[in-house]
Amino acid sequence: MRPLDHTRLAPGIHPMTTAVRFSGVSRHFGPVKAVDEVDLAIEPGEFFAMLGPSGSGKTTCLRLIGGFEQPTAGTIEVFGQHVEGVPPYRRAVNTVFQDYALFPHMSVIDNVAYGLMIRGIRKVERRALAAEMLDLVRLSGYGDRRPAQLSGGQRQRVALARALVNEPKVLLLDEPLGALDLKLRGEMQTELKALQARLGITFVFVTHDQTEALAMADRVAVFNAGKVVQVGPPEEIYERPRTRFVADFVGGANVLEPPIAARLGLPAGLYALRAEKLTVTAAAAAPGGVHAVVTDVDYQGATRRYRLALDGASLAAVAPASAPAFEAGDPVALSVAPGAAARLEG
Amino acid sequence: MASGLAAPTRPIGLRGRLSDLLLSRPGVLVLVLLAPPLLWLGVVFVGSLVALLAQSFFSIDEFTGLVVREFTLRTYGELFAPANFDIIRRSVLMAAAVTLASALLAFPIAWYAARYARGRLKAAFYLAVMLPLWSSYLVRIYAWKLILAKEGVVTYAAEATGLMPLVDAILAVPGLGGPSFSVSTYGTFIVFVYLWVPFMILPLQAALERVPRSVLEASADLGGDPRATFRHVVLPLALPGFAAGSIFTFSLTLGDYIVPQIVGTSTYYLGQVVYVQQGVAGNIPLAAAFSVVPIVIMGAYLMIARRMGAFDAM
Amino acid sequence: MRSLSRPTAVVAVAALLSHSVVPVAIAQEPLQAIGDGEGEVSIVAWPGYIERGETDKAYDWVTSFEAETGCKVTVKTAGTSDEMVALMNEGGFDLVTASGDASLRLIAGKTVQPINTALIPSWSKVDERLKAAPWHTVGGVHYGVPYQWGSNVLMYSTDVFPTPPTSWNVVFEPMDLPDGKPNQGRVQAFDGPIYIADAALYLMTHKPDLGIKDPYELTEAQYKEALTLLREQRKIVHRYWHDAFIQIDDFTNEGVVASSSWPFQVNILKSQGKPIASTVPAEGATGWADTTMMHADAPHPNCAYKWMEHSISPKVQGDLAAWFGSVPSNLEACTGNALLGEEGCKINGLDNFEKIRFWRTPVAKCATQEACVPYYKWVTDYIAVLGGR
Repeated sequence: MRPLDHTRLAPGIHPMTTAVRFSGVSRHFGPVKAVDEVDLAIEPGEFFAMLGPSGSGKTTCLRLIGGFEQPTAGTIEVFGQHVEGVPPYRRAVNTVFQDYALFPHMSVIDNVAYGLMIRGIRKVERRALAAEMLDLVRLSGYGDRRPAQLSGGQRQRVALARALVNEPKVLLLDEPLGALDLKLRGEMQTELKALQARLGITFVFVTHDQTEALAMADRVAVFNAGKVVQVGPPEEIYERPRTRFVADFVGGANVLEPPIAARLGLPAGLYALRAEKLTVTAAAAAPGGVHAVVTDVDYQGATRRYRLALDGASLAAVAPASAPAFEAGDPVALSVAPGAAARLEG
Repeated sequence: MASGLAAPTRPIGLRGRLSDLLLSRPGVLVLVLLAPPLLWLGVVFVGSLVALLAQSFFSIDEFTGLVVREFTLRTYGELFAPANFDIIRRSVLMAAAVTLASALLAFPIAWYAARYARGRLKAAFYLAVMLPLWSSYLVRIYAWKLILAKEGVVTYAAEATGLMPLVDAILAVPGLGGPSFSVSTYGTFIVFVYLWVPFMILPLQAALERVPRSVLEASADLGGDPRATFRHVVLPLALPGFAAGSIFTFSLTLGDYIVPQIVGTSTYYLGQVVYVQQGVAGNIPLAAAFSVVPIVIMGAYLMIARRMGAFDAM
Repeated sequence: MRSLSRPTAVVAVAALLSHSVVPVAIAQEPLQAIGDGEGEVSIVAWPGYIERGETDKAYDWVTSFEAETGCKVTVKTAGTSDEMVALMNEGGFDLVTASGDASLRLIAGKTVQPINTALIPSWSKVDERLKAAPWHTVGGVHYGVPYQWGSNVLMYSTDVFPTPPTSWNVVFEPMDLPDGKPNQGRVQAFDGPIYIADAALYLMTHKPDLGIKDPYELTEAQYKEALTLLREQRKIVHRYWHDAFIQIDDFTNEGVVASSSWPFQVNILKSQGKPIASTVPAEGATGWADTTMMHADAPHPNCAYKWMEHSISPKVQGDLAAWFGSVPSNLEACTGNALLGEEGCKINGLDNFEKIRFWRTPVAKCATQEACVPYYKWVTDYIAVLGGR
């Protein structure tokens, strides 16, 4: 975990209190257990990602924090206060919605000033504050426009400003980059991260994109079927997946069944092995090695991605483009560096 | 086609040529498709409107009662005679009251249909709203006359529940009351609201359906309690629906000449006076001038609605 | 008047009615002989006036006519006199059953043609009182065949009035009715400007100083008095009626006990066993007399003449009188008609003729006064009365 700069925290927030704590939280929709006995602790000032495929319960968890859902069981605390039964408009958290949910009938500045207006802040004052916030998200001068006149990225930043102007204790972001194109997504990733570092507010964001989660978050919680399957810093999630699901979902590692693991010279057990950790050499160069056959090759610029057949199992390997190239049908020898494979729980 | 020329493909028929032309010049196709409705609009609709306007600038000869085909504003002046102005004021007030009541009545129904009803329930909703429109307008008005009659359902229910003094008190209100609901301004109002409320529900429901749930959640998220969310988000976003619906309820009430004949105090409304002036009295100029009134009122109404931002969210 | 040549008469009528300077064309000659039927005849009529047994099998005076003459009858019903005038102006029809407030307009507008009474054998049987009635005979020229007539009656509840009311005052002036309760909210008046004539008729008896000679010919001063009376009446009127069935409903469900009405409503309410009766009070009453008139450009003149003859046959006249609650124009109908009964003509008001002022369109240039208030003013002012002004 990266060191947190607690001096930047908003006044009144005690650094010792956990920002968001889930204790045995479940949310059932009829027979569907959308969230199933989740325990979580999100620290103040943290950039926390909830990662998982659709339907894994991550968005429901976010909505539970926001107050749009109420838990079927368990308790949720936000900075030490129980929030079960507290409606969204009485929670010190704000949300950036997946579709931004800007008010189409208001100008950008009025959108941003909405929360301040509700709090009864005078027009002049709230407009000044909103304009400041628009500066922060680099949208000065756009205040009089309507949301419909903005691009996707701009709308996203308005939504961000609209949430941040309220100085929330926790900012919730629901797939904030999902609707943006690839290039914009990269820019926004950097921007969001810088913003978070500058404001020191706890960010909780939901995504199904593992690269996004890994790139931005201080810690990642991986969701599957309503449960949190692993929580940890990105490196740990990536390098040391604990389950077959995490290994597969985060970065698409090879999951080595025990017989294959044995063939590759690993102790008995189930392993995750990242494709770039599987070394491919010419079969002729290593007559005693583990032999496999190339079934498919993808040239990817800096690397080549191989699909290999080994004893009926299919493995992926990535080799630098500078390494000797193989073609489909070529026999190759495989090797795994010591400590490169991660033992899975099952 | 000369026989000497090589014909690589089979000859293209007239129909083929036509489709080629339409395909290569989409403008022609649009013109062909739009010509009949445009002609209809231009000649029949605008034409009759212009004829109407022209009539309103004529006048009727005081002595002979014949139409004088000379330009004058005298007929318009007559609109401001106290009795005529009464009719205009009465009609506008009624239309406004009906519109307001329809909006209040329609909103919860439209809200429910837009936000909660799904599948079969939604189909049932549409059916319930539209069903009255399938039966005869006249039959429904007569049915209301019976419901509201002195010896009708309302009186019966009031007597059974001991509310008769209340009914009597309501009917004693000067200007609105009368011997019974069916012979009072209330009756006219109730029947109008009944008739036109579907025309308010449907556009309102369409407008509310276009409001994403996330926008309402965003308002709550930003601190807006349900009342603030309603006032600052739902209402402004529903305004185009209100505007569309009110155009129906307002203009339909303004133009109707059947309801006040059957249920009400026998005082005239705009539609009736147009009908009577052109038919019974043969005073076509005054009838025309009277029928310009709703046009002007609706024009002003739309302008104000636009100013107030009713169409901003469109 | 007989010495007047026909075109001159028409000019005179036109001038009388409209005071217009529109040049008047020469009226066309009436038919001199009836030829073969054209196979059809189309008639604009009041609802219920031309029945072919579709409502009630017993009331059918079309089928036999079609069988005898081969003229197929098509009927276009019209609800108001104005609608009739409009339809006739459009053209394409042969005949119209016009009331007095439409007939003179049609004559003046040359929409209808003079008829040759010699071609109608039953003409001689027409009630003498109707033969030269001013609403269809202008300058001695007959513009139609009288069809039926009737009077507006005072309909009342026998529960409230043990003896028939003798004056229209029960609907014109605030008072307590015989049952001890006020008449306010329990009486009705007709929703048509022509009702101003009813008020004028009432004033003829009750304010003779006004000098009203004809309720359809009112000077400005007389007219004002009539309006004043009507404004007072507004305060006690339950509803102004113009739809017969609404009035029937109001007498049934709304506690209305007295109103000007038509025999039609009275007969229906009586047939339903309601305690209803009617009378023509001492002041007399207004009424209507309808005439079958022929379009100037009638496409089927021969069939039209055949129908006019048929229309005044005793059978048709008697059946229609029974059906509509009206009085026949051929008095032979009053005896021996099964549907009408022996007393039918009397019940429907045969003896009231002298007491009845038949509907006419009020015109500016009137016979009994210097100048009269024209009909279009009646319309505007009556609307104002209804509006409480």
